[in-house]
Amino acid sequence: MLKHLFKLIWNKKKQNFVLMLEILVSFLVIFAVFTMVVYYYKNYRKPMNFDYEPVWAIQFRIEQRPQSNDSLSLYFEALRNQLTSMPEIAAVSFTGHNIPFSMSTSQNNVNYEGMHISGVNDYTVQDGYAAALGLIMQEGRWFSRADAGANYRPVVLNNFLKEKLFGNANAVGKVLDKGSERPLKVIGVIHDIKEKGDYQAIEPSLYRRADTSSYRWMEVILVRVKPTANIAFEGRLYKALAAYMPNATVEIEHLTNKRVSKNSMTLVPMIIMMIVAGFLVINVALGLFGVLWYNINRRRGEIGLRRAVGATGQSISRQLVSEALVLSTMALLVGCFFAVQFPLLNVFDMPAGVYLTAIGLSVVFIYGLVMVCALYPGKQAAAIYPAVALHED
Amino acid sequence: MLKNYFKIAIAVLKRRKFFTFISLFGISFTLTILIVLTAFLDHLISPQYPDTRRSRSLYINTALRSNSKTFYFSNGPLSYYFLNKYVSSLKTPEKVAISSIFSTTNTYVNNKKLEIDMKYTNAEFWDVQEFQFLEGRPYTAQEIANGDHVAVISEKTKQAYFGEASAVGKYIETDNVRYRVTGVVKSVPITILFSYGDLYLPYTLSKTERSNTGFDGSYTAIILARSAADLPKIQEEFQQTVARIPLKGMEFDKLDCYADSYLASFTRTLLGKDESSGVNKFILSISLFALFFMLLPTLNLININISRIMERSSEIGVRKAFGASSRTLVYQFIIENIILTLIGGILGIALSAIIIAILNSSQLLPQVYLAINFTVLAWALLACLLFGLFSGVYPAWRMSKLQVVTALKAQ
Repeated sequence: MLKHLFKLIWNKKKQNFVLMLEILVSFLVIFAVFTMVVYYYKNYRKPMNFDYEPVWAIQFRIEQRPQSNDSLSLYFEALRNQLTSMPEIAAVSFTGHNIPFSMSTSQNNVNYEGMHISGVNDYTVQDGYAAALGLIMQEGRWFSRADAGANYRPVVLNNFLKEKLFGNANAVGKVLDKGSERPLKVIGVIHDIKEKGDYQAIEPSLYRRADTSSYRWMEVILVRVKPTANIAFEGRLYKALAAYMPNATVEIEHLTNKRVSKNSMTLVPMIIMMIVAGFLVINVALGLFGVLWYNINRRRGEIGLRRAVGATGQSISRQLVSEALVLSTMALLVGCFFAVQFPLLNVFDMPAGVYLTAIGLSVVFIYGLVMVCALYPGKQAAAIYPAVALHED
Repeated sequence: MLKNYFKIAIAVLKRRKFFTFISLFGISFTLTILIVLTAFLDHLISPQYPDTRRSRSLYINTALRSNSKTFYFSNGPLSYYFLNKYVSSLKTPEKVAISSIFSTTNTYVNNKKLEIDMKYTNAEFWDVQEFQFLEGRPYTAQEIANGDHVAVISEKTKQAYFGEASAVGKYIETDNVRYRVTGVVKSVPITILFSYGDLYLPYTLSKTERSNTGFDGSYTAIILARSAADLPKIQEEFQQTVARIPLKGMEFDKLDCYADSYLASFTRTLLGKDESSGVNKFILSISLFALFFMLLPTLNLININISRIMERSSEIGVRKAFGASSRTLVYQFIIENIILTLIGGILGIALSAIIIAILNSSQLLPQVYLAINFTVLAWALLACLLFGLFSGVYPAWRMSKLQVVTALKAQ
């Protein structure tokens, strides 16, 4: 039966060529959309693993800082103490520009026993950082005063980087960048956090403990506030900061707002793409429906004859729908050939699973679409009376 | 003759209303999406208030600093010091506007938080950019040199801070500093990056730039030429200047900095490589996207057209039998198809006008007002004709191949 259907379509390949081409191109478009959706959805499903809601980011662009390291630390430590002593503030950490949901990144390389990993997010943070963001330790510990003055540089990894470097083995105590000026010693591992927005993939990250010279360039303070902090407190905090650093431009941002804008940077292009794809699909569906309907109407004579020799209406409609499905199978086979190249050639560096899921979903989607478009014309054909149809000819 | 074709086309359209609907739907929506995107691109690229002299301006927004030994590189805006020293000193230009990329600051009025985007500028900025002053005037070179605490604010800031009353002469406070307002300008959308700001201040008030004598900073420059013909001369002079800049004692040994046309200044950061500005790459990728986007609706139209044509096989058979040549028939069919796409095009333009009106009034992008202008319309018309031609040629060719006998027998 199936062989017979293939033969039927194959004989009319010239007539069906454009139709198949159209299904093929729609498959590729749908595949692109589903790849994006599956990728973002997989990322979205992972937990955030940190608490951004009560966190404010204070940016200060400052002109003149004290010259010597000592006076620099004194100056900023005093500011830090002033902030910590405010009853509305729970935790404080100075840090670089690459705070959660910001546009800036800072990346570095990491070496371990011949392994070279590039593109590692590099954060320089203070002891209060973990408390400010509510990071969760997986093994080891976070930085503390005890790390000051150690002859190695203490670092904390995220789980993603730890698994890349050590697999399932224990990471605490291992030394990275051996042979360099100042090797890094792993003192802890945190659970992966999605600090680049809900839809972003997890990236390898490494946290360094800020030393006194870091105050030369740090321009952001992350502050975790208590529920009592309101807009009036924010105004007071702002005044206090502007008074302490008369040479600085100060801006207070809430991480909740930064998260929304970071997410929309991912979502807006995707929504535009989905609107465009949705419109294309409606277009194609209408076209398919029209063409199938027309083709089936043209075959009234043939259908009437089949009815006359005893085919039931149901079997006629089933035949027509299966014909459409066979037609799309041919287009999908070619489409899958192209789509499979993406995971095989590792284009765009996405996990193969994302592509395969997307291929599966697109195939189901196209079959569904074709079926929906063929059902009504098929049902109409089933209602043809043999006597009427044959009489017309 | 054409009138006849038109009549036939309308008659055919009326006969199979469902097919007509599908065709028109496809054409008009495809064009709507293309027109809205073109209008947005046009808003980004062509001269806009207040940056109206783009045809005789050159822009410098970043410089690439690299070290061939350590592979260190850094790409970013420049310092006021650099731009003032090496760009303002150029001989050929008429004027050079230097301004910082806006930075956000807060101000708290009546327990309400306002976010204000500050931009530091030199005095030429107000001459190069054609701002519309609703009140007052820009600050002068003298006031800048004196370090006076003066500011020009946007209409939006005025509304939020002072309400309806006049703002000139009043004081606005942020970062614990009070600035006297000298003028109020019509607000600029954030998409006009070189000009956007809520609060414009003299560069001498910038707390971060006063002592900066390095190359890194947050400033960009607009070079205004006396005429468009001077642009290549300026670019050449600037390249010579850049080549002579001493790099001794810096952590890099190569400096790439270009004065580009408006579009090129952006494509260079996105797509540029070495000398090439990336404009060609940008145009190529945009055209490829548009073609690919039109591919599906076109295929769909071809499909429907084939069905339509086969339905008319008896008509074609009769005309052929009475001596009409294949070519006449192909012409007729292509013209019919172009008429159809033009109707779809008119619908598309109407639809996009509605969508653009909705976008403008919703202010999804603050202060951005899109418009369908002649450029956009010309592109839409071209797209229509291409669309009609693409989708008409193949079915017409198929039809012309029909044998008279088969054509007549089919029905």
